[in-house]
Amino acid sequence: MSHTKLYAAIYVVLFAFATIQAVVEYAGFLEQSYWLAFWAIIVLSVIKAVIVAAYYQHLRWEPRAVSYLVVGGVVAAVALTAAASFSIT
Amino acid sequence: MLGVHTVSSFILAWFPVAHAGDVRAPADVFNEIFTVFLVLGTAVGVVVVGYTLYNAYKYRDGAGDGVDADVERPQMGEIPTGGGGGKKLFLSLTISAIIVVGLILWTYVSLLYIETGPSSQQAQQQALDNAGIASASESDAAAQAQANQSGELNPITIDVIGHQFSWQFVYPNGHTTTGELRVPQNRLIELNVTSADVFHNIGSPELRFKADAVPGQETDAWFVAKQTGTYQANCYELCGSGHSYMTADIRVVTQNGYDQWYDRTNETAGNETGGNATEAGGNESASIESARVTAGSGPAAAQQVITP
Amino acid sequence: MSELPPKSSIKRWFLTTNHKDIGVLYLITALFFLIFGGLLALLFRIELLSPAADFLGETGYNQAVSAHGLLMVFWFISPFAFGFANYVVPLQIGADDLAFPRLNALSYWFYLFSGLLFGVSFFQGQTFSGGWTMYAPLNTPTYLPGEALGATTVVLALIMFVTAVTLGSVNFLTTMYRMRAEGLRMRDLPLFSISINLTVWMMLFAFAALLAALMILTSDHILGTHYFSYQIDGAGITQGANNPGASLLWAHLFWFFGHPEVYIVFFPALGIMAECFQTFTGRRIVGRKWFIIAMVLVALQSFIVWMHHMFLTGINLQIKTIFMATTIGISLPFDLMVFSLIYTMIKGRIRFTTPFLFSLGALIVFILGGITGVFLGAVVLDYQFRGTYWVVAHFHYVMVGGATALFGGLYYWYPKITGKMYDEFLGKVHFGVFMLGFNLLYFPMFLAWETPRRVFDYGGLSTTIDLSALELGVYVIPYEVWHNMSTIGAAILGASFLIMFYNLFVSYWHGEEVGDNPWAYATSAEWAVSSPPPLENFHDTPSYASGRLEFLDDEEVAARSSGSSGGGLAGHGATATDGGTSTDGGTSTDGGKPGSATAASSGVQSGGGALARAGPETALGTGTPGEHGHDGHADHASLWPFIVGIAGFVLFLGLSGIRTGGTFYTSLTVVGAVGVFGSFVGMAQEPFHAPEPLLAERWPYGGVEKMKLGMWTFLASDIVLFGAFIGSYVFVRVAYGWEEWHHLIPEAHVTMPGLINTYLLLTSSFAVVLAMVAAEKESRKGVLLSLGATFALGVGFLINKAMEWDHLFNLHGSEAFPHGWDLTTNLASSTFYLTTGLHGAHVAIGLIMVAYMFLRAWNGAYMGDEKPIEYFGLYWHLVDIVWLFLFPLFYIL
Ligand code: HEM
Ligand SMILES: [Cu+2]
Ligand SMILES: [Cu+2]
Repeated sequence: MSHTKLYAAIYVVLFAFATIQAVVEYAGFLEQSYWLAFWAIIVLSVIKAVIVAAYYQHLRWEPRAVSYLVVGGVVAAVALTAAASFSIT
Repeated sequence: MLGVHTVSSFILAWFPVAHAGDVRAPADVFNEIFTVFLVLGTAVGVVVVGYTLYNAYKYRDGAGDGVDADVERPQMGEIPTGGGGGKKLFLSLTISAIIVVGLILWTYVSLLYIETGPSSQQAQQQALDNAGIASASESDAAAQAQANQSGELNPITIDVIGHQFSWQFVYPNGHTTTGELRVPQNRLIELNVTSADVFHNIGSPELRFKADAVPGQETDAWFVAKQTGTYQANCYELCGSGHSYMTADIRVVTQNGYDQWYDRTNETAGNETGGNATEAGGNESASIESARVTAGSGPAAAQQVITP
Repeated sequence: MSELPPKSSIKRWFLTTNHKDIGVLYLITALFFLIFGGLLALLFRIELLSPAADFLGETGYNQAVSAHGLLMVFWFISPFAFGFANYVVPLQIGADDLAFPRLNALSYWFYLFSGLLFGVSFFQGQTFSGGWTMYAPLNTPTYLPGEALGATTVVLALIMFVTAVTLGSVNFLTTMYRMRAEGLRMRDLPLFSISINLTVWMMLFAFAALLAALMILTSDHILGTHYFSYQIDGAGITQGANNPGASLLWAHLFWFFGHPEVYIVFFPALGIMAECFQTFTGRRIVGRKWFIIAMVLVALQSFIVWMHHMFLTGINLQIKTIFMATTIGISLPFDLMVFSLIYTMIKGRIRFTTPFLFSLGALIVFILGGITGVFLGAVVLDYQFRGTYWVVAHFHYVMVGGATALFGGLYYWYPKITGKMYDEFLGKVHFGVFMLGFNLLYFPMFLAWETPRRVFDYGGLSTTIDLSALELGVYVIPYEVWHNMSTIGAAILGASFLIMFYNLFVSYWHGEEVGDNPWAYATSAEWAVSSPPPLENFHDTPSYASGRLEFLDDEEVAARSSGSSGGGLAGHGATATDGGTSTDGGTSTDGGKPGSATAASSGVQSGGGALARAGPETALGTGTPGEHGHDGHADHASLWPFIVGIAGFVLFLGLSGIRTGGTFYTSLTVVGAVGVFGSFVGMAQEPFHAPEPLLAERWPYGGVEKMKLGMWTFLASDIVLFGAFIGSYVFVRVAYGWEEWHHLIPEAHVTMPGLINTYLLLTSSFAVVLAMVAAEKESRKGVLLSLGATFALGVGFLINKAMEWDHLFNLHGSEAFPHGWDLTTNLASSTFYLTTGLHGAHVAIGLIMVAYMFLRAWNGAYMGDEKPIEYFGLYWHLVDIVWLFLFPLFYIL
């Protein structure tokens, strides 16, 4: 299978996204509007993570149940973080 | 009697501002809810356990009713399936759900009351009432003077700091005591609780307030003591070797007695803290500041509460 | 691989990897810890006879209470349940062992040695004395008496224990999803197996959070980070050099684990109760389907109730309301289960054997525990109960209630395990004395509920009984009375076990021999084989395809496993939604189970639900992948797990005292580390054959070969581990003030090293993918090149990190941080080094694996067999993904 090209393309995208994240900082967007830049950066990370999981870890081609397993872990961790942080606001 | 009381307090909690009666102290709230739970809980427990034992006996092998019952028994190697009786199951579930959810919703109203504290009007009313009572028994003039000075009718806010292994109390004027909290009868007492070292928890079985004392954080609690006397406060979170001994006395005195005592502390406090917080009921943050200086636990203990 | 000696030989018990042997080892070890924890309890109950510190003394008391709680919760109750799980689950699902037998042995040895490590802590000055909940900051050396070496040891012992649990969870999940007998859908499993399945799911996630908490705590102990101390004497900055979130961070992490833990403890007991009720009433469980759904709901919900342990910590009203609601919500499925068990008795032929008595007793006791739990769910009441004996009484009623059912399980399966029947009369006597002791011990605690927890000086408290209305006077009963009753109850409860031990011991030698199935109406497969079962459980292959248990000979298995390919005879839902389509584990074939007559009556028949299943598939296994694919019989013996266990013990013991800098502890650490490394290599080198069954039910993981599924389940727990680390960082930063945080970070901490490392890791991930592709294409050069590149990039990552850290450690001339910015400087530095350090450790471990694989590839491995590379890749990519979040969180934001 000629997945190699796809893998390479994905690599380029990941590389670019990481660069953008750093650029956001160097360009001073964080100083201008912190929370907007914050969420932009986080969203970029999430996209990258999903791409790696879907293609490099080929979750796309696995039974859904494997993805649910992973999502389960993520949801647990996010629930802990979000609820705990919210509880002290 | 219980019923009437329940209903009235229910309304009170719903319309806290409109009601002008006594402040419902946390102890009252607890005792009432606990009683209801105990009665219902015992009833449910007796019924369910009784029914369980009854069935166990009734369907015992041999003499039991199950012997000739025309039912299919589980067989070796079968793929497990359920026995019937789903309807009964859901009926029981529904009943228990109604009881449990109903009870909890009912207590939630009281929770809101405990969380927000009695409204300031109520507290004022309470204080006025006291002043009235006091005026009957004691010197009229003094009581009148008190009632007029509305500043004195506000709740008293006291900072509580847990230490291994003692409780420190800081009054609005900065006066600090250890191991003894002195408060006037029938006044709303608000506590701001924190700790200078580890996790503690202060509570009083009679007055029914309780709050965690978390280092670096402030929690609050309030109570109203309706009878004079000495009550005990305990530490409810394991905090080290002296945990068992980490108690404090809460001395509830009359308003007059309290005032006299408090006036004297005013002077001392002024001396102790270099005149920082001499006004009674003065600026709260100033008193917290000075309190922590007197607590002598260094700058870190004086940190502010979490600010998002 | 070695031969397995007979059971009479001591050697066998060090070598065995057989699930039944391991199950027995778990049971015996857990009973040992029951005695250990129980004796501690008797000690402090004696202390509580009078309200003064006149027996153990203050610190002795705290140590006894803390060690008792930890030992009972961690080292007794769950492992005891997992003794049964080990023994019974493979039999019930028709498997011949667990999926990874050596890993199972390793779990056991880690468990045993972690317990021994706990024992050692008593001799290092003092053991941990901060309560089983280990609240911060009392759990840090600053506030622990003495040098606190014993406390560190306890924390490390817990880490070792959690490792055992995590390995076990991975193992059980893989087994239950890959090795079920043909025709046995998940929902068709006996209730005990279902309860274990859900328990293991909860363990996988909950213990990962605990592991995070413990690792952070260890770091606070050994490395001097500041997660759990609120006061930090950071050099240079005085303002805000503190950690307002410290105590609550621990509470969140602990209870996020802690609440699921109480169900982890209780579920196996529930499963045993269900089995015993069905068998001894001779009635099928009423509303079995709903029973299962209720358990699933509880398992899910258990992760969103944790703050009911924190109602007084100052969390906001909204969150209190939410957690009050979820807490009450979770009690309802329990109601259903209780009613289901009660109704099961109707029209039964109840035989009051010892196992049934214990199950019935457990049910009744649990009802009381549950009712008192509802009291606690009412927040206003909880405010007052918090920290009192009400809580102590409540959770002993539920937890020891659970243990009650487990003892029922011991009697239930004793004949299966030993082949002998216990003495029924003595069993009943045990039950009677047990129940008497139990209630005498715990019920008075409700009456003396105002006693503050973990306090020995309860003087002055009393219960007033006012009978003046009946003209009977007013009675004031001092709390001593209740506490003395409790202590007497404790003695009786303890004594009841002498009867049990005597009974089981004597019966082992003189008991009546039993056949396959001593219990009428037992249905599950463990009763269809001899007692004790043969080494490989079933002589022929069990199958439920016909709607009931039957055994297929090899020919039939071969015919079915090849003949069903193509899914031609699938009666419904021809192709499974899952499975079959995988590019990698493409050995699965969809096959229809001929006619599922029982389906309609037994299970949820819906699409999309968690329990639903679109179509049964039978997968054709190809044996273990790769390395040791030799034919022939499965292996059952290996000494390596034991050696790894011992080495781990030595390593952790060394670590416990490493901060003293003494040669003793340092050399232990070195020896232990070398030993762990060496024995893992030895284990990897050892050929060990554990075949996957030819014919098996594998929903919903058909097509996910067992190594892969094992890897994914492990990664899921790793996600929670990292998630909890990141969550801890977010939490303390929010508590501190998100943006003020920037003051804690030196100017010199710039984005560039992080960016470079991001590039390096991304590239290395790409290289691993290329290695996999090359292996597929059987290009040895390609594999070597790509793996080599991965290795080089990973090393580059670590070097870059080392340089960066070195620079930050020694910030000479920095105004704000004249002493540099190291782990102990402030909260930002602590979180930065620890979180990225954990990630760095993952990279380092990955590199060791890459090096190993490189050597094997050099010798020609992986050609046309890319699976090992793929599985390693899953790990490596996860490490990459984690970095994708660490980079912005620690370098940009
Ligand atoms: C009917 C369902 C239940 C409810 C509503 C409930 C509720 C609660 C609540 C609110 C607390 C916190 C008390 C406090 O510290 O203020 C608590 C404590 C506890 N519960 Fe439950 N519970 C239930 C069932 C269970 C079960 C099934 C178990 C275990 C088998 C259990 C074990 C515990 C333990 C161990 C603690 C105390 C932990 C500690 O502080 O050391 N509970 N329960
Ligand atoms: Cu304490
Ligand atoms: Cu809980």
